Amino acid sequence: MNTIKLLGATALFAGTLVVSWITHGGGVVSDDPARNIAIPETLTVPLQVQAAYNADTMFFRYRWPAERPGIFHDMMLFTDGAWVNKGGAVPGSQPDGLHEDRVAMMLDDGSVPEFSRYGGYITIGQGLATLTDEAPEEVTKYLPMTRNTLGQWDDMAPDSVQANLRSAGYFLDLWHWRGGRSNPVGAADDQNIATGRDGDAGGSSYGTNWDRDLNQPKFMFDEATAGYAALKWDDVMAGTITQDQTYALISGQAVAYDPAHVWQEGDVLPRRFVRTPTESRADIAVVGGQGRWADGFWDVTLSRALDTGHPEDDKILRDHGSYDVAFAIHRNATGARWHYVSLPFSLGLGHEADIVATPFVGRTPTWGDTWTDVTLFYPGQVTWPMLNSDMHAGAGSIAQGIPVAARHSPEQLANYGIEVEFRQQIRRQWMLTLLAGVVLIAAFGVALNATISNQKGA
Amino acid sequence: MAAYHVVMVHFPIALWMIASLCIFIRALDSGPLGQAMDRALPVFLVLGVLAGALAYLLGTQVWPWQTLSSTPMGRNHMLVASWSLAYFALLAVIRVLHGADMWNGMARWVMVLLSGIGVVLVGITGTLGGHLVGNYTEVGEILRLLGWEIYTTFYVPDMTLYIIAAVSVVLVALGFLGRRTRA
Repeated sequence: MNTIKLLGATALFAGTLVVSWITHGGGVVSDDPARNIAIPETLTVPLQVQAAYNADTMFFRYRWPAERPGIFHDMMLFTDGAWVNKGGAVPGSQPDGLHEDRVAMMLDDGSVPEFSRYGGYITIGQGLATLTDEAPEEVTKYLPMTRNTLGQWDDMAPDSVQANLRSAGYFLDLWHWRGGRSNPVGAADDQNIATGRDGDAGGSSYGTNWDRDLNQPKFMFDEATAGYAALKWDDVMAGTITQDQTYALISGQAVAYDPAHVWQEGDVLPRRFVRTPTESRADIAVVGGQGRWADGFWDVTLSRALDTGHPEDDKILRDHGSYDVAFAIHRNATGARWHYVSLPFSLGLGHEADIVATPFVGRTPTWGDTWTDVTLFYPGQVTWPMLNSDMHAGAGSIAQGIPVAARHSPEQLANYGIEVEFRQQIRRQWMLTLLAGVVLIAAFGVALNATISNQKGA
Repeated sequence: MAAYHVVMVHFPIALWMIASLCIFIRALDSGPLGQAMDRALPVFLVLGVLAGALAYLLGTQVWPWQTLSSTPMGRNHMLVASWSLAYFALLAVIRVLHGADMWNGMARWVMVLLSGIGVVLVGITGTLGGHLVGNYTEVGEILRLLGWEIYTTFYVPDMTLYIIAAVSVVLVALGFLGRRTRA
């Protein structure tokens, strides 16, 4: 009888351990749009990078997988006699598959001291838009010293300090290629990050295709050249529209919207028109006219003058110079913070570094098969103030200047990023699990003690 | 406190490992060698638990509670350390209370099972502690293959917590039932 009890107790105990092992990690992590939480199915994505330069121009080539080409941003659908916006930003992937693909690269020349060690993490201040605790007004990426206090998004450093920081080079150059809003005109958005993520001086490559005064679109496709005045919603949804046809409303090619046109249910127009950017914002071009998607991969090559002549907008590059870069992509119809990012990489123009830019003579580089492989990861909601707080065991390491790559892998950071999004819930569940385990062991001890006592008594 | 914690943890590790070896040998051998192991066992177990409790206490002082309870590796390290200590405390209590009687019948194999689980837990605790200070091993890869990504917090859902609670009640009831049967 005692042996049966002992075996029964042991089986119960062991069975519970097995159940715990099988079910661990469940019940907490799930999408919660109300809290701006949407976890991607894939946590890491490979990116391949090549770099080259000639006497006056820098070239970067990027290649990454994307199931479908995100060549559209938001759209306007003609339905029930009116134009309705589609593809507005949502947490995670946009359900209609709208929102452009992107590749972005932050570039620094050493003027932003933490960037080479911590990459884009330093730009994630408190209160950024689409964080769970986003500020009441839209706050974009910013650098720590542009605020008086770490963690206070609205405590701006005085204008005089901002001006000095800028002239000292305390900003990140941002090369921002957009699959829908810049690629069609062979450009990338030339931006920078300092007090926020801002465009360089000049005009952007896109505008809103909506005339508020007339309450109608501004542009439509030119039937004479495109063969249609609008795209079809079903074609957009099916992904049958390709880069080989007219898919963007390009200023100068599109024609003024004609309300007298016989618009049909299911007609669709891009909600943005694209145009050639101007001034400093136009510094980055797409080599080959457009970045191309084929066979499940984007292949994008960007070029920019080594010296753009805009030293307070761009990082000026020089032969044999050393720089730091970090990359990000958007894919699967995502926007805002639902991107994949990289750790920082060193860039050497003609000398040893993580990414070696190869010097060449001629107009365009002849790319070989040598790539730098970059692992991009979903970063979650890890902010720079949090990393420097007592919520991060490595805060002391940051204070010592130990680089993130010395402690963490991209895969690890992706998991940590998700854990941060559910910090309170996971902490509660962890504490209960710890206590439950101790209680179970103690309870098994009670059963074991009794059965052994019985054996002794027998 | 980190350095003292690292120094201190080696004592319970050594004592628990040798205690587990004693249990294993005693379970297999009732002869003079097994008897000798059994006589030494309570010393190793009790000293191990005392040293383990001290190491545990030092470990809680390495980081503030806010830090320890906010980081996945900190949480995991503390969780398995708690369970390791609980396992070997259980073994120590059983051995002290029941002496050589604990080797009668099936109980000896239960002791082997418990000490085996304890050894695994101590190994995982040490592995996670190594990761915390930047000393990585492939043990983490083994756990990953077995289904646990060690860079995520180990926790169970509410339903499993209810199961654990229910099983605990049943086990305690079995214990009291056993006492009444004996009386």
